[in-house]
Amino acid sequence: MSRVGPAVTLTLTAAGAAAVSYLWWHSTRTIAGPGGVLTTIGEGLGLLAGYGVVVAVLLMARLPPVERGVGADRLARWHATLGRWLIWIISGHVLFIIWGYAVAAHSGLVSETATLLTTYPDVLMATVAYFLLLGVGLTSLRAARRRLRYETWYYLHLYSYLAIALAFSHQFANGAAFVDDALARFAWEVLYVVTAALIVWYRLIVPARDFGRHRFVVAGLRQETNHTVSVYIKGRNLGELGAAPGQFFRWRFLTRGLWWQSHPYSLSALPSDEVMRITVRDVGDPSNMLRVLQPGTPVLAEGPFGAFFPIHPGRASLLLAGGVGITPLRAMMAALTGSVVLIYRASSWQDVALQAELDALAASRGAQVHYLIGSRSELGGDPLTADTLASIAPGLDAMECYVCGPPGMTAAAVAALRSAGTPRRRVHVESFEF
Amino acid sequence: MRGVVVAVVVTVAGLVALLSFKTHTSSAERAVASTGNLSPLLPGEHAVIGRAVPTVYGPVQVRVVEQARKIVAVDILQHPAETGMDIQIGQYAFPKLVGETLAAQSARIDTVSGATYTSGGYISSLQSALDGKSAVGKQSAVGKQSALSGGA
Repeated sequence: MSRVGPAVTLTLTAAGAAAVSYLWWHSTRTIAGPGGVLTTIGEGLGLLAGYGVVVAVLLMARLPPVERGVGADRLARWHATLGRWLIWIISGHVLFIIWGYAVAAHSGLVSETATLLTTYPDVLMATVAYFLLLGVGLTSLRAARRRLRYETWYYLHLYSYLAIALAFSHQFANGAAFVDDALARFAWEVLYVVTAALIVWYRLIVPARDFGRHRFVVAGLRQETNHTVSVYIKGRNLGELGAAPGQFFRWRFLTRGLWWQSHPYSLSALPSDEVMRITVRDVGDPSNMLRVLQPGTPVLAEGPFGAFFPIHPGRASLLLAGGVGITPLRAMMAALTGSVVLIYRASSWQDVALQAELDALAASRGAQVHYLIGSRSELGGDPLTADTLASIAPGLDAMECYVCGPPGMTAAAVAALRSAGTPRRRVHVESFEF
Repeated sequence: MRGVVVAVVVTVAGLVALLSFKTHTSSAERAVASTGNLSPLLPGEHAVIGRAVPTVYGPVQVRVVEQARKIVAVDILQHPAETGMDIQIGQYAFPKLVGETLAAQSARIDTVSGATYTSGGYISSLQSALDGKSAVGKQSAVGKQSALSGGA
């Protein structure tokens, strides 16, 4: 499987930014007059924003080598950070352009804004685009996300595409870098067209094609505990998908009430050529009707995704699961051929899922399973410390460590592993904030 | 579900309105940009067209209208118009330059600050028109408004 890791991704992005900076430099023919410096800064910020939105979109384009190399959780965090920066960069662009133009044209800020909106081509569209992006940014603030259902936030976020489309033409109509430079315009068009094509291909066509090829349907459900249920999905030639244990798919159940939602769930067992299994915790959204899924419901499955899978299955491995993070690790356990120690951290026994399977796998493979159950107050502190882990798994500084769980738990676990001497390259993490 | 319908309707309506918006040029700009709309000469007036002077932002060319050896008007035949900023600067600078020309009755006028290149082009074109006083009353074919990118 080809993988494009974080270092390569960041380097490519930086190289693009350098090319854009050169374009900016090349296009400032003379910085003339009182408004010149301000306008030039505004144009530079504009170019950076025009490039930055493309990067932000590509991070979410679900390009398979990047998904396998960087991981969906990390890509989502990068996208969020870049999005925050872009709000500032675009706001700076707007400010410096209005200010620089006003100074150069000897008019006031308000009248120059009006002139820009009414007489400069495509500026009104770009302005609407700016406010759309501001809106998207506002809905993504933590305070807003707490109040919004995930799907509402998601569909509002899609307005970003509209904003990018609306703002595109004003770059060519007014941008100093493009007005005189046919080569620059061509390169910019290629950048946007290729990005759009990748989005259409990987986010629309590939899932539709896979659905036609593999015909995913719900085969059945099994109640695992009071709060967890396993869903079995059957299909044809599932081996072609090349899903590795530890990876996840994005599932869209095509039935009333669920068809507009897409959920990422890890495979909780090794996939066969005909069946895949996910194990889902029934929490959160009261409209989640996962329990009432009928066998025969068609499923749109996108994937496999995730950079979280065993690269060295023969090595001694330590698996650290927090809550629902057990699912990819349960799948991995069946595939690892070296010695395995599993530590399962949960606040109460009610949160423990698939216990019978874990114990059975442990018995048949000679793996050790340790349950660290209870709240921190009950246990007298956080059990995820270097000392505790080292006593459970001596020699962990030489093991491949796989950590999966909610962000707080994974942060504590990784810190403990590192301070117990495990080098960074042997610590693999997957953590989702959904 | 109703919220979705409302959102879609509002988005579509907004887009239709937005895309049908057409930018307009103000009447002041139209006055500066006039080329084929030169007012016909009154009896006793004669006009001389100066050369098109290339500047970084595009050529500037003026036509001087004189009556009885007195400059009575200056028309701008060509001016930088590639970007909205060029037009805005011209809107600001040309009226000033023309006013100074009428007052000074020569090309020895000050440049307008913030419009150095435009002023320079204006003054050179004006001077060339004043130097070539042999042209009598005819308007030579006005060239294309295209920008001669003089080293941009």
